[in-house]
Amino acid sequence: MTKIDCLVCHDTTGTYKKAPPAAGMPDPESDLLYVAKNVGHSSRKSCGSCHFSGGGGDAIKHADMSGELLSPDRNCDIHMGGYDFSCTECHRTGNHKIAGRSTTVPVVEGVFSCENCHTTAPHNKEGLLDTHLNQHCESIDCNTCHSPVYAKCRPTKTWWDWSKAGDKTRKPQKDKYGLPDYDWKKGEFEWKESPKPEYAWFGGFTKRILLGDPVDIQAPVINITEPVGSIKDPRSRITPFKIMGGIQAVDAEHAYFLIPHLFPRDKEDKTAYWKHRDWDKSFTEGMKAAKLPYSGKYQWVKTQMYWRVEHEVMPASMALSCVQCHESLKGEKTCDRCHQDQREVDFQKLAQKGTDFSFMESRGRDVSELIDSTDYINFKALGYKGDPIIHGGRFRKLPLGKSMAEAGEQ
Amino acid sequence: MKRKVGLLLLFLSAVSTGFLPAYNGQGAGNAFAAGAEEKGDAIALTETEWKAPDQMAAQIRAAEEVPFVGKVKEECLCVRQQRLRDKGLSTKDITHRYFLLDSPLIRKEEDQYGPVRFMHSKHAAVLKDCALCHHYRPVDPEAPETTRCSACHQESFQEEYPERIGLKAAYHLQCTKCHKDMQEGPVGCTGCHKKNVPDHEKLVQLPEKPEPTQVTEECLRCHQKAGEDMLSSAHWLWKGHSPYTMERRKEVLHGKGTTVINNF
Repeated sequence: MTKIDCLVCHDTTGTYKKAPPAAGMPDPESDLLYVAKNVGHSSRKSCGSCHFSGGGGDAIKHADMSGELLSPDRNCDIHMGGYDFSCTECHRTGNHKIAGRSTTVPVVEGVFSCENCHTTAPHNKEGLLDTHLNQHCESIDCNTCHSPVYAKCRPTKTWWDWSKAGDKTRKPQKDKYGLPDYDWKKGEFEWKESPKPEYAWFGGFTKRILLGDPVDIQAPVINITEPVGSIKDPRSRITPFKIMGGIQAVDAEHAYFLIPHLFPRDKEDKTAYWKHRDWDKSFTEGMKAAKLPYSGKYQWVKTQMYWRVEHEVMPASMALSCVQCHESLKGEKTCDRCHQDQREVDFQKLAQKGTDFSFMESRGRDVSELIDSTDYINFKALGYKGDPIIHGGRFRKLPLGKSMAEAGEQ
Repeated sequence: MKRKVGLLLLFLSAVSTGFLPAYNGQGAGNAFAAGAEEKGDAIALTETEWKAPDQMAAQIRAAEEVPFVGKVKEECLCVRQQRLRDKGLSTKDITHRYFLLDSPLIRKEEDQYGPVRFMHSKHAAVLKDCALCHHYRPVDPEAPETTRCSACHQESFQEEYPERIGLKAAYHLQCTKCHKDMQEGPVGCTGCHKKNVPDHEKLVQLPEKPEPTQVTEECLRCHQKAGEDMLSSAHWLWKGHSPYTMERRKEVLHGKGTTVINNF
């Protein structure tokens, strides 16, 4: 039990460090006595020391988590930036079991969602839209509107091609964010800042390919994780995801994913890819450790992982508005499509304020393509006939108000 | 120390094991330095003295000294409920959507728990009944209909108002009674607030430059159960129950230390 590292989570001084070559042991420079005398609750800093740098560096892996969350602006994350939430205020812990339902890791020790605090009828400002917005909650995940772009403050990696690794002569080029497109150890990359998420139906369950699972190596793309959901499932909601794409290796005969041995154990290491740049040796060693046969033949395949957008929730005033998804409402001046005409209601003000992408662009965010968009959600791709206002919802089949012809649609 | 996961680690986990970059706590340029609409935004801060504006506003408000309201108008709850409804008082009249249940008055006597985050407008919207918490009003007809808890409830056992409970008791009775009655919301201590961690300066008994395992041993001297709990946690085992994974809902062996595949 003395192998447990209490300090890595309970340090409050910010001085505790691990030493990369020391297999999880602390950096000899850390003053352990000082750290031990100042222990306390975990914090964004202690949780973030691992979780913000998943994938080998800051902001790489998660759609919506980076070192930015140590001192975020309130527009970047209202909970952490506005109200100074620590991770465990949502990821409730008990007996060192931590609540949270990851898209990419199967282990679950408890669940916690927006509704736990905000209830299932979260829109309650006694506004004209409350009823409509609360009805949307039945079919739309909170973050679809409340976190309309991810990696808002720091670019995240969205593409990782391992097959290109190994070229020590290739000089990495900087992209528009100043980030490298190549690393000989890891391959070729793409980065994105403030992109629009991909939207998919998600009912809470995830399909995942695990070690040794057979895959169709001829498929154009293999989803390592993907949300389970359907337009016909009342529990499913339209949910935002980052998709991490890439190219990685499968065993060409056994048709399962290969595990490389990357990091050299010591100076005598004969197989590590980061020393010898030989995939075959690396896979042989990696699969031996994984206790799975390796045929000796590998093949590169295209893969995707879905990462749910859960953090970096924006202030309510920055949520998407009606018109940003429902183009059909753009020309409306009153609510008379469905309600009796009330001239004193300023429909345009009500339905068009929404996420201010121009403002975000003025602050340096990469969102110029999203300004004035009225097709934020691709309804057809999600299984609707088109904008539900014109064609009807998934369960309520009547279109709203005017006929299709009247609304200018065939 | 956290166990080494060895060489196999699925695509690149090896890199992250034991690799904890030291953040300096200052992001490379805060994304939107200004401009939101809600209260609390006007407070300008440099990066080095970063504060969460909404939280800071709530802290300032919680620390305020409030003039004591001695005499209150006693009216039956049902009368008051009806009167407030007739007046049209609603969530729209809320001036502070969020505040911290905290006060120097409470801390003066005892300081064992952190402040409670209180979503005022959320409670108002769910209850739709201001009078449930704002149960009396000051006798002064000029005073607003509703006032802060800490205006009437301050020190306990005041000679002049022996029946008036103190602020801490008022918070606890009001919150927990309602949560119990409604069978909703937390009723235990840590459901609402974090326990303060006692000063470990004198508690920790270690030599200069202790070995890492010596530190853990010292922690376990008092926190033996925490150690046992840790050994069955996902953060230690790197595997566990997978109740939301299709076709694997009853399995317990999946995790980053065992079967997880990724592409980064």
